[in-house]
Amino acid sequence: MKAPLTRSLVWFGVLAAGLLGAPAAAERGTLNDLWNVAFAIVLASAWNLLGGFAGQISLGYSAFVGIGAYTTVLLAMAGWNPWLTLPVAAALAVAFSVIIGLPTFRLRGPYFSIATIGVGEAVRVIASGVEFTGGSSGLRMPSGGFNFISNYYGMAVLALFTVAVVFFIHHDAFGLALDAIRQDIDAAEALGVQSTRYKLLAHAVSAALVGAAGGLFAMNFQYISPGSVFDFRLSLSIVLMPIVGGIATLVGPVLGAVLFSYLQIKLLASPALRDSYLFIYGGLLMAVMLFEPRGMVGLWERLVRLRSRQRPQAAEA
Amino acid sequence: MAAAPLLEVSGVGKRFGGLVAVAEVSFAVQEGEIFSVIGPNGAGKTTLFSLLVGSQRPTTGSIRFRGEEIAGLRNDQVVARGLVRTHQIVRPFRDMTVKQNVSVGALFGSKQLRGEAAPAKVAEVLERTGLAARARVLAGTLTIGELKRLEIARALATEPTVLCLDEVMGGLNPAEIQGAMALIREIRKSGITVLMIEHHVHAVVGVSDRVMVLNFGRKIAEGRPQEVLRDPAVVSAYLGDEEGAAA
Amino acid sequence: MEKLAGVLLSSLFAAGLYATMSYGLAVIYGVMRIINLAHAGLMMLAAYVTLSLNTWLGLDPFLSLLVVAPLFFGIGVVLDLTIVRRLPRGGNAPSMQSLLLLFGLWLVLQNLAYLVWSGDTQSILTPYTMTSVHLLGESYGVPLLLVFGVSGLSLVGLDLLLRRTFLGKAIRAVTQNRDAARLSGVNADRISAVAFGLGTAFAAIAGTMMSTLYAFTPDFGRSFLLKAFCIIVLGGLGSFTGVAVGALVLALIENVFAAYTPIPTSFQDAISFSLLVLVLVAAPNGLPALFRGFSRKALAR
Repeated sequence: MKAPLTRSLVWFGVLAAGLLGAPAAAERGTLNDLWNVAFAIVLASAWNLLGGFAGQISLGYSAFVGIGAYTTVLLAMAGWNPWLTLPVAAALAVAFSVIIGLPTFRLRGPYFSIATIGVGEAVRVIASGVEFTGGSSGLRMPSGGFNFISNYYGMAVLALFTVAVVFFIHHDAFGLALDAIRQDIDAAEALGVQSTRYKLLAHAVSAALVGAAGGLFAMNFQYISPGSVFDFRLSLSIVLMPIVGGIATLVGPVLGAVLFSYLQIKLLASPALRDSYLFIYGGLLMAVMLFEPRGMVGLWERLVRLRSRQRPQAAEA
Repeated sequence: MAAAPLLEVSGVGKRFGGLVAVAEVSFAVQEGEIFSVIGPNGAGKTTLFSLLVGSQRPTTGSIRFRGEEIAGLRNDQVVARGLVRTHQIVRPFRDMTVKQNVSVGALFGSKQLRGEAAPAKVAEVLERTGLAARARVLAGTLTIGELKRLEIARALATEPTVLCLDEVMGGLNPAEIQGAMALIREIRKSGITVLMIEHHVHAVVGVSDRVMVLNFGRKIAEGRPQEVLRDPAVVSAYLGDEEGAAA
Repeated sequence: MEKLAGVLLSSLFAAGLYATMSYGLAVIYGVMRIINLAHAGLMMLAAYVTLSLNTWLGLDPFLSLLVVAPLFFGIGVVLDLTIVRRLPRGGNAPSMQSLLLLFGLWLVLQNLAYLVWSGDTQSILTPYTMTSVHLLGESYGVPLLLVFGVSGLSLVGLDLLLRRTFLGKAIRAVTQNRDAARLSGVNADRISAVAFGLGTAFAAIAGTMMSTLYAFTPDFGRSFLLKAFCIIVLGGLGSFTGVAVGALVLALIENVFAAYTPIPTSFQDAISFSLLVLVLVAAPNGLPALFRGFSRKALAR
C-alpha cells in the first residue's frame, strides 16, 4: 500500500509547510485567519475520532474546549506559566471525558447524541452560575508575557500533531476496532472487541487534544466566558466541519475546517451574511444528509467515479 | 470414563417479559465433539446461542466453560475465553475488505494477536475457508455463500476452543453444502469443538456426533443423530401431533 | 402542609404544558422512529407567529390557536412530504441521518426567525397577563391556568383521536409494528405524513402557549426540547399515556427542587439536563418498564 502512504505524506507536508511557513511570509491578518484554521483542524479531526470513526456523534464537545480554556486561565491567574497549563488542561478534559463517557456510552446512536446535548448544556449552566469560574461574566487572562507568534506556532503544531495522531490510530488495530464499532457494534463485540473500552479511549484522546486547543484559545483571546467557550453553537460547528467535509475520513475534517474558517471570515466581513450563518450551517447539514452523507469527500469520490466511467478506454489502475 | 465436559449448561432459561424463549435447558458438550441443536422455527435455538456467548443474559441457570462460570459475562469476555459464534443472518462489516473483517477476529479474539502473527493468522484462515482470492474485496460485494464463509472465517480468526455455527447452511446450494460440511469436519480435526444449529437434516446426520432437539424453548430429545430423528416426540414436533400419534 | 399542596398544584399546571410539548415529539417518534430536533424550532416559530398575529391583528394568543394549530399541521405535512420522506428508512432503530437532518432544519428555522423578527427578546402582553388567581394559599397567574386548560383540552382531544377514530387506531398500529400495520391495510406513508403534521401542530400549540408565559428569542426552545425528550424517555418511548406520567414526574421533581432546596433557579435547567442523562442511562425503557421489572422481581420472591 505504498502509493496511498506517499500521498498522505505529501498532503501532510503541504499542510505543515503552509501552517509553519506562514509567519515568515504572511502578515498578521492572514496569520489570524490561519490560527483559526489550525484551531478548527484540531477540533474537527479530534472529534472525528469518536464521532466519525467510532460513529458516536457527540454534540457536547464545547465542554472540552471550555474545560481547557478555564483550566489555563485559572492556573495562569494562580501564577503558572501558561504553556505549562496546557498538559493540565488536556488531563482535566480527559478526566471529564471518562466521567461522562462511562454512563453515556451505554446509549446508542441518537440517544447518545441527545445525552451529550444534555451534558453540554448542564456544564454551561453550571459554569455560568458558579463563583470561581467568574459566573456568566467570565474570566480574563493575567496580562503580560503573551506572544502571538509563539501561540500561533503552538496551535499549528497541535493541529499537525492531531492529524498525525488520528492517522496513526486509524492505521492501527485501535482504528480497526473503532471502524468495527461504527459499522456493527454487536458483531464487533461478538469477535472480542471491548467496545466500551475503545470508545472511552477514543473519547479521551480527542478530549485531550480539544482541551489543549481550548487552553491555547484562552491564551490567544485573553478573555473567556461561558457564552464563548461552552456555547452550543461551538459544539455545533465542531460537528458540522467533519460532517460536511467527510465523516470518518482523514482528510474530511481538514477540508471541513478550511471551508468553515473561510465561511466565518466571509460572514464576518459582510453584514448581510453575518446574520445568515445559521442558514448556511443548517442548510449545509441538511444538504449533506439528504444528498451526500459522505460530505465533500463523498462528492469528490462520486466525481472520480463519473470520470472513470466516461473514459472506458483508460488503462486499468 | 468420559473426561469432564468442556461446556456444561444447566437449567438455562431466558424470558423476555412474558415470553419464555428458552426454558430450563441442560446439556453438556465434550471436547472435540460436533454437537448439533435442531428444532422447529422459533424453538429458541438462536437465543440459546446468544446466551452461551453472552450477547444475552440468561434469566436462570448456569453455563460452565472449562469449569468456569461464564453466564452473565459480556460477549467480548466470553470470546476472550475461547467461545465464539457466527450469526444466522450474516453481519459483515460492509465497508471493510474481507481481510480487514477477518483481522478484527484475529486482533481482538482470544489470543489478541499483534505484529506479524495477525496477518499470518488471517492468511491461514482465508486459505481454510477458500476466501484467499477475495481478500482485498469489500465485504459488501460478496455473494451469500462467501458471506457465510466470511462469518466462519472471522470466528476462526479469534482462535476459539468452541465454535458455535448458527445455520451456516441456510441459503446454500448442494455443492456449497458439501463444502461447508467438509470445512466443519476439518475445523473439528484442527482441535476445535463445534456446536451447530442446523435445519438441513442431511448435514446434521452427516457431521454430528450428537444432536439435541429444542421445541418451544425446551429440550425434548438428545442423543445420536439416528436415534433422535426416529424419536416420536421429535417427529411430532416437526410434523404436528396427528402424524406423531400415528407413528 | 400548605406548601406541599402548592408544590403539587404548581407541578400539575407545569405538567400540562410539558405534556403538550412532549406529545408532539412522541407522536413523531412513535410512528416514524424519528427524533425531531426541529421540534424546538417549530415551537419557537409558532410563538413568533402568535406574536405577529397579536401585534398586527390584535388576536389573543389563545384564540390564535385556532389558526396556528391547523397552519402548522399543514406545515408538518409539507415538511414530511418534501424533506423527511427522502431519507432512507432505517428499520426500527432511529437513525442519525434523520436526527442531523432535522437538526439542520432547526438551525434554518432559527435563522428564519432572526431575519423576520430580529433577535430581540419578545413577549406577548395581554390584558390578563399580569392578573392572578388565589388557589390554596398561593397565587397563580391567569395565563398559567389558561395554558393548563388548553393543554388539558388538547390532550383530551388527542386521546379521543387516538382511541375513537380509525385514524387514531391506524397511528397506534403503526407505532406498535409498522410492517404488521401495513399488512393490515394501513397506508403507513400517509399515516407518517399525518403523524408529522400532528406532531408539528402540537409543537405549535405548545409554542403558542409558551409565548404567553415566557419571553422568547429565536434560540428559545432548546431547554424545552431536552425536557420533552426526558419526558418521553421517562414515560417509555412510544407510549402515549407514559408521556403524561413522565410530564408529571419531571414537573414534580423540578418544583420539589425549587421549593425545598436552596438551588437557584438558574441551575434548574442543569437539573433537568442531568435527569435526562440519568434517565437515558438508568431507565431507557421508561418508568413503566422499570416498575414492571420491580414488581415482577418482588412477585418472584
